[in-house]
Amino acid sequence: MSDFTASDAYNYTVFEGQGDYETFPTPWHALSAAPDCSAILLDSGQPVRLSDYWRERDVLIEFGSYT
Amino acid sequence: MAKAFAGKGFTFLFVYTREAHPGENYGAHKSMAQKIAHAQAFREHCHIERPILVDDLAGTAHRLYGELPNMTYLIGRGGKVLFRSNWTDAPTIELMLNYLINVRSRRREGERLAPFYAEFGGYRITDPAKFQQGLHIGGPQAIDDFARMMKVWAEQARGG
Repeated sequence: MSDFTASDAYNYTVFEGQGDYETFPTPWHALSAAPDCSAILLDSGQPVRLSDYWRERDVLIEFGSYT
Repeated sequence: MAKAFAGKGFTFLFVYTREAHPGENYGAHKSMAQKIAHAQAFREHCHIERPILVDDLAGTAHRLYGELPNMTYLIGRGGKVLFRSNWTDAPTIELMLNYLINVRSRRREGERLAPFYAEFGGYRITDPAKFQQGLHIGGPQAIDDFARMMKVWAEQARGG
């Protein structure tokens, strides 16, 4: 229940140009330490951490969706 | 590009976020099962071969990294941000990857190099017709919503 409430504003149902598409609001500029977090690997359905990937190799991460 | 650079030490990932242009066909996510199904459809229809990581329903990873709809980060081995862009542009990414490869080659040849910070304003490919086609994926509502916002932005640009 609480997860859904937290995601209501994030998962907008109508595109209204939400947000600034040009400016990074986060401090992770070049040469800073990338923040770690987890996500579900689509292939396995299991949780993975971003650091699992950058531990041994350089990682290029694109963010996006089908629409 | 992912295949070409995989052999040169780079891993390419795609983090699946909220639907940027939700509509009747692909609406806003109301469950992880739905989000995963959308990511699977994306993989199949767009022939994505690199690993897809599905962000949680609250968009934790997406918000952590800046919540821009189609941004790119290049993170070096060990976890240092080397590059980020507010939009994803393949030629620009290729430029950065080749830059990094060149730096490492120079180091191997004995050149002494130290990290430094730089910024640049790039140019990305835009294809309005292809973008409009993409809105069809979401559905008629996605097309209508974007058309409405185009009018709003035009009005704002005129000072209205």
